[in-house]
Amino acid sequence: MLRGPGATDVALTVNGESVTVHGAPRRTLLDTLRETLALTGTKKVCDEGTCGACTVLVDGRPVYSCMTLAVACEGKSIETIEGIAKDGELHPVQRAFIDADAFQCGFCTPGQIMSIVALLRENAGPTEDDVRRAVAGNLCRCGAYPNIVKAGVSAGKRR
Amino acid sequence: MPRVVKSREEFEGEIFESLVLVEGKDLPLPAAGTEFSEIGRSRRRVDGVQRVTGRARYTQDVYLPGMLYVRVLRSPYPRARVRRIDTKKAEKLPGVRGVLHRFNAPKAAFRGEETIFREEVRFVGDEVAAVAADDEQTAVEALRLIEVDYELLPHVVDLEEAIGDMAPRLDTDGNVAEAATHKRGDAKRALKEADFVVDATYRTSTQVHNSLETHGAVAAWDGEQLTVYESTQHTFGVRQGLRTALKLPFSKIRVLCDYMGGGFGSKGGAGKYSIIASLFSMQLGRPVRCVLTREEENIAAGNRSATLQQFRIGGKAGRITAIEHTSWANVGQGRWVANPTGPTNTLYDIANLSSKSYKVVTNAGSLAAFRAPGYVEGTFALESAVDELAEKMGVDPLTLRRKHAGSPKDPMSGKKYSDKHLLECYRIGAAEIGWQRRRSGGIRGSAPHRRRGIGMATQIWGGGGGPPAYATVHVNPDGTVVLTAGTQDIGTGTRTVLAQICADELGVDLDAMQVRIGDTDHPYGPISAGSVTTASMGPAVRIAARDAKEQLLGAAAGVLETPKAELRLEGGAIVSKGARTPLGEILSKVENNTVIGRGARHPNDPDLSQRTFGAHFAEVEVDVHTGEITVEHIVAVHDIGRIVNPTTARSQVEGGVLQALGFALSEERFLDRATGRVMNANLENYKVPTVKDVPAKITVKFVDRPDRKANNLGIKGLGEPPIIPTAAAIANAVANATGARVRHAPLTRARVLEALAVAGARS
Amino acid sequence: MNAFSYARPRALAEALRMLRNGAVALAGGTDLVGLMKDGLARPQSLVDLTGIEGLRGWSHAKGRGLRIGALTPLVELETSDALAKTMPIVRESLRDAATVQLRTMGTVGGNLLQRNRCWYFRDEGTVCWLKGGSRCFAIDGENRYHAIIGANECVIVSPSDLVPALLAYDAEIALTSSRGTRRMKLADLFIAPHGKERREHSLRPGELITEVRVPEAALARRGTYLKAMDRKAWSFALVSVAAAARIERGVARDVRVIMGGLAPVPWRVIAAEKALEGTTLDDASCADAADRLLAGATPLRDNGYKVTLARELVRRALRSLVA
Repeated sequence: MLRGPGATDVALTVNGESVTVHGAPRRTLLDTLRETLALTGTKKVCDEGTCGACTVLVDGRPVYSCMTLAVACEGKSIETIEGIAKDGELHPVQRAFIDADAFQCGFCTPGQIMSIVALLRENAGPTEDDVRRAVAGNLCRCGAYPNIVKAGVSAGKRR
Repeated sequence: MPRVVKSREEFEGEIFESLVLVEGKDLPLPAAGTEFSEIGRSRRRVDGVQRVTGRARYTQDVYLPGMLYVRVLRSPYPRARVRRIDTKKAEKLPGVRGVLHRFNAPKAAFRGEETIFREEVRFVGDEVAAVAADDEQTAVEALRLIEVDYELLPHVVDLEEAIGDMAPRLDTDGNVAEAATHKRGDAKRALKEADFVVDATYRTSTQVHNSLETHGAVAAWDGEQLTVYESTQHTFGVRQGLRTALKLPFSKIRVLCDYMGGGFGSKGGAGKYSIIASLFSMQLGRPVRCVLTREEENIAAGNRSATLQQFRIGGKAGRITAIEHTSWANVGQGRWVANPTGPTNTLYDIANLSSKSYKVVTNAGSLAAFRAPGYVEGTFALESAVDELAEKMGVDPLTLRRKHAGSPKDPMSGKKYSDKHLLECYRIGAAEIGWQRRRSGGIRGSAPHRRRGIGMATQIWGGGGGPPAYATVHVNPDGTVVLTAGTQDIGTGTRTVLAQICADELGVDLDAMQVRIGDTDHPYGPISAGSVTTASMGPAVRIAARDAKEQLLGAAAGVLETPKAELRLEGGAIVSKGARTPLGEILSKVENNTVIGRGARHPNDPDLSQRTFGAHFAEVEVDVHTGEITVEHIVAVHDIGRIVNPTTARSQVEGGVLQALGFALSEERFLDRATGRVMNANLENYKVPTVKDVPAKITVKFVDRPDRKANNLGIKGLGEPPIIPTAAAIANAVANATGARVRHAPLTRARVLEALAVAGARS
Repeated sequence: MNAFSYARPRALAEALRMLRNGAVALAGGTDLVGLMKDGLARPQSLVDLTGIEGLRGWSHAKGRGLRIGALTPLVELETSDALAKTMPIVRESLRDAATVQLRTMGTVGGNLLQRNRCWYFRDEGTVCWLKGGSRCFAIDGENRYHAIIGANECVIVSPSDLVPALLAYDAEIALTSSRGTRRMKLADLFIAPHGKERREHSLRPGELITEVRVPEAALARRGTYLKAMDRKAWSFALVSVAAAARIERGVARDVRVIMGGLAPVPWRVIAAEKALEGTTLDDASCADAADRLLAGATPLRDNGYKVTLARELVRRALRSLVA
């Protein structure tokens, strides 16, 4: 089925809920999340796949939503920072970030957390090195990295 | 009663004297041995949940109903005259609501110029026109439809070319202007009489802030009031800038900054984007958003100047006898210079000294303050030169520094320091790094081709803070507390440390506290820069909390019918002869009340110099065949008075070290000289450190003694100190490891390999 | 980004039909979306290949070589322990390639076809030679990341980490279009832009890479991949080297040395490999090979360091094969 170039309906599952968004094929997943679905926790920093702030999970895998077309996510499951706390309880990674002081300005934080959430699903007890590899694609300009690594390791331990 | 007093404050390397309004009386320092409930204790950030859930709202996250999107057309040329602009095609594009440029924009004064759109554009990225449209994509497309007739003019972008005789003159007085000079003793003669002289030229490249949240504003004019959401380090500075540009009274401007994604000095006031968004909003009656792209952030939102620094440093009989330091800084189109000679003038007690600092204008983007502006660049040169001299003299570089670092007086002004424990920093740092393992010529690394070395460097900075800064403490009938202040949290933990200071003084639990900041409808707060926030705001908060506490005790005395003198406020309860009554219970007996405490920061002692000191030690390994540097260990020791929150303080130091690591090893803006374009205006080729660049170990230590003469808490700032000495410590460690002296930061492969070749040829 | 139409067919034939009609292939999008955002690619329609069955995954039938589907995400190759046993250099080359997110999105085919990272090429406001302009700006401009060897009018460098590793194992590719399938050596995919050839790949219009094959014989080689970056992660190679050889009683056979980041194409000098044949990969032989690899190198103002780096990486990579 050929879609576009005008706006078209795209059916997604976002944080467990089925939604249909209306937008042109050129619209990125990032803009769709932020502007169409008002999920502004996912940040736009570079908009060209060079910083990691827009990291979300698509079918459980971490991707840069700024380089992903929303239309290409038809039928897929998207998870964002807004969706990982369950029943009013913070996700263990969120809790670990607070406990380890793993953020300063906080702008990269949602992306960092999503990368570690993805890691923990593959590897429940990551080492420091595992965490480093998982967030090597998430820049932090404040330099919270040492605490991010601590948070990732301790989130694994507390699960 | 408010009264006017004189204040003298050091800010980012310069002294400012001003009249300020204060009220009430300052408090004495807490008595020695005071048992604090919050101050000095590690606490989680009070806004942590907001930040980890994505609920923290940053300027970029402000989407208002009916909001328009602005994109800015920027000059593709480094220097040109804008002769004509044709916007007809752009205006016809469906969804375009307005276009502004120099022929139709209202006058709006900005940084000494009458308009935000110049006739002569002076760097690639200079604002030429702006489009407001229903969505961003339409605005982008409209930019392509604007036709501009440029008359190209000769340009120069490179620092050393701009200094030379062949360069076009950008200012009537030429490109080079003297910005600062200092002289004491007779450096020339002392150099002649010295036994050892190092004559060396150092360079530092342009560093770009690259805050993750770009500069931006959302402006909403409702016919009566202009509300501007802005990612800023100074809401009141933005308000001032908008007042100047738009000629609105303060009462009609409200600037808000709830959360902001980094600034590092570059977000000190209104930008052209704030004014453009406001002008459009006032013209079109709709909210308007102007948020820069990553590329714009790199070309038009400020940078740390590239510098060229010449040093002559002489030694005799185991001491430094003279320094001559001349610096040139590429400020682009900036109007000031971040002076690299600051540390040279003040760090060491050296009898004969002569320094000069020149501002060099070029057709490049303006400098903006960048975390310890000038001091980072200057300390790289100074502390490299001191090590080079020590090497030549055959003395231990730390021993040499100790001889000049102990003076209790500022060698430039002659004033006594309020406090100084630099030698203590040296002692702690040397022990932590294992300085005794350091050998001239380095030690063996983890493989035959790897050499290991140890180096160190010192930092001096301000951070004493001062007035004006105000805070208000509201206590609700249920005993909860709202601290209101006009400061902002740029990621340093301001909300948290102010909550701690307030809760501690007031005698309530941290959980009872809410901190509301980032709003010009609050009492004035200073710019979050110059490492002044905690030292300026903290003492005011303490006074406000004390004021509220006195009132609460008075109220409790009435309710409990007990003399006030017999009451204490502790853990959110009024304590009287062992009986505890929760504050809420007492206040609820008096219906619907608010107890308001007020506090103002009082001036510093004008006869003293309030400074922070510290030393960083670095251990590195260098792959002598590939030039790869691996920083194994950084020890950071700082003397910044009393520590309010050891956890956030430690984070701040680690962050400073890592931003310095970028400056030292990988961060560098590249300008094409022929076209004036920035080739790496992105995060692909402008290389900020990744998690993998982090040294295996970072040890953070504080002297942690209250500066008893600084302010009523004995606290000083920490934002900038940890970025200052790291690069020099690393360069000194590399030289120690390999004998290769790299005099240009960042120490890239090319530079390290070249220095290794020179060192190899020498040995 | 310009407006375009989009389709995600399930059948290869359908995708090929669309490609024949001028659609541009989209897989992971990690390069194409960036080019589109920068206005360097302005396709009228995109055909998303990720819905096509059968082009994903890898298999190794003993004696028949290794087959890798072009739509296999890089992360699948990187994390497969079985592949790490069959051909360890693949994981080695991917571990420092970009980031987890980009390796999750990016595919093998897309990696082979990624365009160069020259900052003049990537700058929308610069019309360089490769984009149809009159000259290369890097030659007299900012050129620390550019080619030191093998360049003509344009001094881009080959950016991929995976490609040198595959070439060191004599990889071949299958190309399919609506006209049929052809096979060729992977090495022949790459073009050093020159004359009228202002492009980096020899892919024909309407063609798709469907698979990569590594011959069984090559799998007997030992291999290693080394990469120098100017930070410790998430950087294209300043210089990289993939080296492979069969080691028989301490003596090297079928030696391959392929370098990335050095030339507009993955850099290989047969004479250098020949000279190593039958040696113990001792320091002298390695130095001699490096001389041959770099003979004729003409560094620009800011990239002379690549010569030093390249020499050392070649030596280390080769030495590690016999370590």
